[in-house]
Amino acid sequence: MATAPGADLTLRIGVDVVGVARLERLVRDDERRQETLFTARELEYCRGKRRCYEHMAARFAAKEAVLKAFGTGISQRMRWTDVEVVNERNGRPKVHLAGAVASFAERHGLADLDVSLSHTEGVAVAQALTSWRGRPAEEVPCAST
Amino acid sequence: MADVDGAVKEALAEALALDEDEITPEATLMDDLGAESIDLLDILFRIEKATGVKIEASDLGDYIQGGIPDEEFSDADEVITEKGAEHLKKVMPQTDPSEVAGKVKAEEVMTLFTVQNLADMVKNRGNGAGG
Repeated sequence: MATAPGADLTLRIGVDVVGVARLERLVRDDERRQETLFTARELEYCRGKRRCYEHMAARFAAKEAVLKAFGTGISQRMRWTDVEVVNERNGRPKVHLAGAVASFAERHGLADLDVSLSHTEGVAVAQALTSWRGRPAEEVPCAST
Repeated sequence: MADVDGAVKEALAEALALDEDEITPEATLMDDLGAESIDLLDILFRIEKATGVKIEASDLGDYIQGGIPDEEFSDADEVITEKGAEHLKKVMPQTDPSEVAGKVKAEEVMTLFTVQNLADMVKNRGNGAGG
């Protein structure tokens, strides 16, 4: 955790690594499970890619990284589809929040959120950076999931 | 239905690369066994293959909360209410309502979920009961 200079902002980061083969094994040929993890827009994007499971793994890692930065991990009310990763025209990933994750962000004063993704044939990694207004450090539980 | 307790233990051991001896009924999935979210998916996938009972990761939360509306399950500060704690005692019998109500945050409940709780949920679903 860190505080941005000149601003009453608390910064928190989250990072996650996902094995592409493992993710593929869990979701291949299972449309319902894919829809549990990814929004329609994310699925449309990934399915249009030659190595679609690499892209799915990167998006799953991003969702996990965001929830780690929130300090919650996946909790019983949050859905993976509450964190949606879309690409802007220049290819830069952008996160849209919905449902319980959006409510959490609003209640706790999320000011900004950014993610960065990278993937190879074997692994996908994502890092999330969040900034919060007036969220004390002791409010943030330790999250490892 | 197949031996659920055995199937759950085997699924946990394979997904988390643990020795079966390490997996006790009272061990919590996340804190004690170190399961991360993708592990949870893997565990449920293996349980489905072994028992035929399909549980999505999102079903876990619904099962834990039992259909109680958010505003009744926890208060404005997201801390579990007495009503929420009483329900948790049903699906997670190891919890003590007096130690949960007014003390534990809703987002922390998943960390209390044990191997036995998971086996009970699989049995519940396998019997055709709702969450």
